[in-house]
Amino acid sequence: MGLIDRARIYSPWVYHLHCGGCNGCDIETLAALAPRFDVERFGIQLVASPRHADILLATGCVPKQFIPMVKRVYNQTPDPKVVVAIGGCACGGSLFYDEDPENYAILGSPDMLIPVDVYVPGCAPKPEQIINGVVQGILKLNEKATRRSK
Amino acid sequence: MVDHVFTILSIALIIPISLFLGVMYSFLIRKLSARFQWRVGPIVRMYGDLAPVIGSTRIWQPLYDILKLFGKDALIPSTAHKRLFTWSPYLSLFFSFAAVLFIPFPGLPLLSGTPYSLIIASYLLIASILFTILGPAASGSPWGAIGARREVELFLVAELSFVASLFVVAVTKGTLVISELAGFVGSIPMMLVTALAGITMFAAMLGKLHIKPFDMPEAECEIVAGPYTEYSGKLLGTYFLAKVFVLYNMVALFIAVFLPPLSSSVLWLPLYVVAALVLIFLLAVVHVLNPRYTIAKALMWYTKIIVPLVIVGFIAAFFLRVVA
Ligand code: SF4
Repeated sequence: MGLIDRARIYSPWVYHLHCGGCNGCDIETLAALAPRFDVERFGIQLVASPRHADILLATGCVPKQFIPMVKRVYNQTPDPKVVVAIGGCACGGSLFYDEDPENYAILGSPDMLIPVDVYVPGCAPKPEQIINGVVQGILKLNEKATRRSK
Repeated sequence: MVDHVFTILSIALIIPISLFLGVMYSFLIRKLSARFQWRVGPIVRMYGDLAPVIGSTRIWQPLYDILKLFGKDALIPSTAHKRLFTWSPYLSLFFSFAAVLFIPFPGLPLLSGTPYSLIIASYLLIASILFTILGPAASGSPWGAIGARREVELFLVAELSFVASLFVVAVTKGTLVISELAGFVGSIPMMLVTALAGITMFAAMLGKLHIKPFDMPEAECEIVAGPYTEYSGKLLGTYFLAKVFVLYNMVALFIAVFLPPLSSSVLWLPLYVVAALVLIFLLAVVHVLNPRYTIAKALMWYTKIIVPLVIVGFIAAFFLRVVA
């Protein structure tokens, strides 16, 4: 494994992409970053700009007004990147999603707009689950990078 | 001839040394801040069962971050002034690295014996920071612009205290050559003036290195990522590398100018390391103990406390010169 590939596994930076959840998932995501679980020991860091991110943590179901922002944040993230959907809402729209009659405000899960790589179900998932999801994300990230370099 | 060969050899040697020390210092600041906040921080010895999968240590975390960024795409916003935007990180790195060559390391005097090396080194450091302002200002992003503006305001006061405290020592000792400053101990009143200048220099370092309470140019999450908002991939990595060198430079310059004779001979190396560690510890303590100031407060703090102190130092240094 090359040095840069190894560095990619060692230093995944996450960006918290809030797509309109109830904040339950966001609180759990932040709990994973806080002192008790402290993922910085493995090099996982929360960054403030999507341009610095490797992994997008998407939480919640996308309200229709949010559609352009979600797409834009995804496009602003440089390749290779991975999206981890956190929570029941982000995995399938949960109880907010309606096909018929269509919900007047909510589009559904973020994977209707952007490709999602890892799903972490739960309402809300525990920090351990979120960390596990990020780890799966890191593995996918590495796969994507090697595929790209070929 | 022998001199030239030695200088070239020592330049080749300082590249890995400065990179190693810069990465170490950044790691220590991160680790210490984490420990002060009741966190673990980048782990020194990985848990036994995880070590084969994710590496046995994270001491190199700042270096991994930079290397990873070099493996990512760099996006250039359509609103940016392309040439300035892409060249600024490289120029910043170039100048911060050039400054390394003018600051002595124990056993490696490098180019610190050149006439006016103190002025050259401080100009190179200023130039490096200037390009961390120009690039973001050219990015066309409002966050980058706000970050750059804050950086300019902080730069004005921090740079003033930085340069003035260096000159207090230069006036006291009557030389502008870093290698002479680094070997010159002086009398007790001289030491007192140097100590005063050291305090103001430490305060200036806080502003230059964006240690809290003076991290408002970056202001994570408040103005997205400040100047670095639009940077990604290897351009961002280059900026981070430049920051690593600036950190090394500031610590090395502080020790060379304010703690003679620690960087004059290789025999002082253990004490040099201890001094650097103490300095980094102090920086980390200040970093965790303080909230972020607003820019107006920071300006007030510098102009009301640090600048008068430097002026007092100047007057004392002047008297010492005239009396001696
Ligand atoms: S999954 Fe549950 S906790 Fe998470 S955003 Fe949806 S409703 Fe809230």
